[in-house]
Amino acid sequence: MNEPKKLHSRGVLDWFDPRGRQVGGWGFIINRISAIGLTIYLYLHLVMLGKLAQGPEAFDAFIATAKQPLILFGELLVIIAGLYHGLNGIRIALTSFGVAVRYQRALLIAVVLLTAAGSLFFAIRMLSIH
Amino acid sequence: MSDEKWTVTFIVFRKKDEQPVRYDTFTLEVSPNEYVLDAVERIWAFHDRSLVFAHACHHSTCGACGMRVNGVERLTCITPIREVTRNGGTVRVEPLRNFPVVSDLAVDMSRLYQAMDVVHAQAVHPLDAAPLEGDGIRPPRQVPQPEEEGEFLRLADCIECGLCVSACPVAGTDPAYLGPAALAGAQLQSIARNPDLLSVVDCAEGVWRCHSAYECTAVCPSNVQPGWRIMDLRRQVVAQRIKALLGQR
Amino acid sequence: MTKPHAIVIGAGFTGVAIAYDLAQRGFRVSVVERGPIANGTSGRTHGLLHSGARYAVNDQESAIECIQENIILRRIVPDAIEPNGGLFVAVQEEDLAYRDKFIEGCAACGIPIRELTPQEALRLEPNLNPRLLTAFTVPDATFDPLRLALAFAASAKAGGAQFYLYTDVVDLLRDGRGNVCGVKAWNRAADRRFDLLAEVVVNATGAWVGQITAMAGIQVPIAPTPGVMVAYDRRLTQRAINLLNEPGDGDIVLPQRRMMVVGTTSFTIEDPDYVPVYEDHVALMMERGSALIPALRQTRERGAYMATRPLIGGTAPGRSISRTFKAYDHAETDGIDGLVTITGGKATTLRLMAEKTVDVICRKFGMDVPCRTAETPLLSYRKFYL
Repeated sequence: MNEPKKLHSRGVLDWFDPRGRQVGGWGFIINRISAIGLTIYLYLHLVMLGKLAQGPEAFDAFIATAKQPLILFGELLVIIAGLYHGLNGIRIALTSFGVAVRYQRALLIAVVLLTAAGSLFFAIRMLSIH
Repeated sequence: MSDEKWTVTFIVFRKKDEQPVRYDTFTLEVSPNEYVLDAVERIWAFHDRSLVFAHACHHSTCGACGMRVNGVERLTCITPIREVTRNGGTVRVEPLRNFPVVSDLAVDMSRLYQAMDVVHAQAVHPLDAAPLEGDGIRPPRQVPQPEEEGEFLRLADCIECGLCVSACPVAGTDPAYLGPAALAGAQLQSIARNPDLLSVVDCAEGVWRCHSAYECTAVCPSNVQPGWRIMDLRRQVVAQRIKALLGQR
Repeated sequence: MTKPHAIVIGAGFTGVAIAYDLAQRGFRVSVVERGPIANGTSGRTHGLLHSGARYAVNDQESAIECIQENIILRRIVPDAIEPNGGLFVAVQEEDLAYRDKFIEGCAACGIPIRELTPQEALRLEPNLNPRLLTAFTVPDATFDPLRLALAFAASAKAGGAQFYLYTDVVDLLRDGRGNVCGVKAWNRAADRRFDLLAEVVVNATGAWVGQITAMAGIQVPIAPTPGVMVAYDRRLTQRAINLLNEPGDGDIVLPQRRMMVVGTTSFTIEDPDYVPVYEDHVALMMERGSALIPALRQTRERGAYMATRPLIGGTAPGRSISRTFKAYDHAETDGIDGLVTITGGKATTLRLMAEKTVDVICRKFGMDVPCRTAETPLLSYRKFYL
């Protein structure tokens, strides 16, 4: 019984398992998922900027394909992830200084509402431009 | 009402030594007012004497009987069956996460005790450190010294049951994380009064490992509010660091 | 010289205290326990560190043991005890008839008490029944059952004791002459069976002592006597509240962390392995408890549980049996060597029970080592796991 034993845990998988989680746990899960999404997007973005180095033709061709609905939807996801992650970051920064910790649930709900409102705004804008 | 009987199926996590995990099913007649631990004890007494589970006080003062009931961390001695299932329903009973399993439902909580020891968390503390009335989470700015008669001491709220460590999403990926209970124990002592604590909690395995899921506070059966205390401890850490910085100038 | 090997069966209060004392007095110790530490009666105690006042009228031997051990335990296990003090409260005229006997008994047993006026008592504890007639302060305290046992176990472990937890004793090993020379054990955590040999086996299984001695064909007079306790969701007093009268059902209301615990009842049974919590007993606890603390009626039940006292048997019913203890060397009582049994007692006197039992064992081995457990503070309970 004394030798070190493996923890009863699924490791990273437990980050994303929403079963039995409360509001704060859901906030954590979405935060992680949005972080991973934004990181992936960062690399895609770098690839896109790389097209600039290949000359204006390559870039214009790329932009043309980027106007497909699927890509537009992807961009909307980036906006949602960015808004949520940023706003939740403010929530965590506040609570980490001991501010409004007892209202972390209410703050999270506010974060979600603001994210939804912001996403709606950008979605309408995107649709009206194209 | 007291004669009400429910038929409930308990699905119990089983593990012996290096054998693979299996789930055993026991169907019991229970009173919905009984507690989950009563049913687990009855499974041992009348159905399977090989079942291993930990328990001691049966009234939430010792913290031995923490388990996961239908996926949620619960102190089984104070969890009425009525709250977790219905007549004809099932109850899934599993050991706590983020600790090594000794066998079946019993886990090895050395990790928690180690962390509590590192921060010198107090088992008995002055009444004013965590007041009995109200929410009891006011920070201990001025902790009075125990009176001679000792009547102003009381047992700490934290019963070291490990539910918070089990519910914490980052405790599973960082075995060295001190965990919510220990950080709460540090917060109760206040860094201003115990400067040695600063280096213990101001590190990657300490107060900064927390990712604000607040699951610890959600499952704590004992009013400790570890999530709040971790955040307050961060405030204390930052305040101390700023003070030290200004003091050096 | 090699140390004699002693097996202690049971890691409840007496078991862990005996293991610690044996290790201190030069034995190699193994503790075999079928659950974790304190999973039987010990874990489920009320949690009252008796001042002895409860027994000062009818059972002065127990009362004196209690007050002496109360003082020792406060010193040696400070991190498992809440030194909150206690009150004995009279709420009815008939309780007052007990007052003089109580004062006399406490004086005879050396228990320091102080009488309060009802106003003083209500100032200390505003939630007391406002119709109380008189009150006495007593040096009661609250202990945390698991951590009290763990502190002894941690200190025993530091002294070399080895703990076999989740391990059932399935039989006693006998030598050619029928004497006990070890135990047959079954580790349920690993599902492994093994034999453990020893010079002496100590049966410290409390309410279960009869089951162990039966393995050697010995009967001991033991009366497993369960009682119910109910925990309520709010702490209403700082001190332990006792009814000033003869010991009876539901006459102790004890604060613990943020709870109140009311206990207890008393009846006898045959098999202590599983005793259901009877709902009428739970209702009785509310009725009796609220006579002392009326605000209990507005609090929610948090838990209800049953614990089985290991009283020394006889023909007398529960409450009239003495709460003292007795250690048997079965070589003397039954002609079977190698087995010592301890029965009776209560949580408050765990250290003393161990001292007397280990005295008996030392005498068997011709060892003249004094007991030192009252002098040194125990290790932190957390050290059991480190």
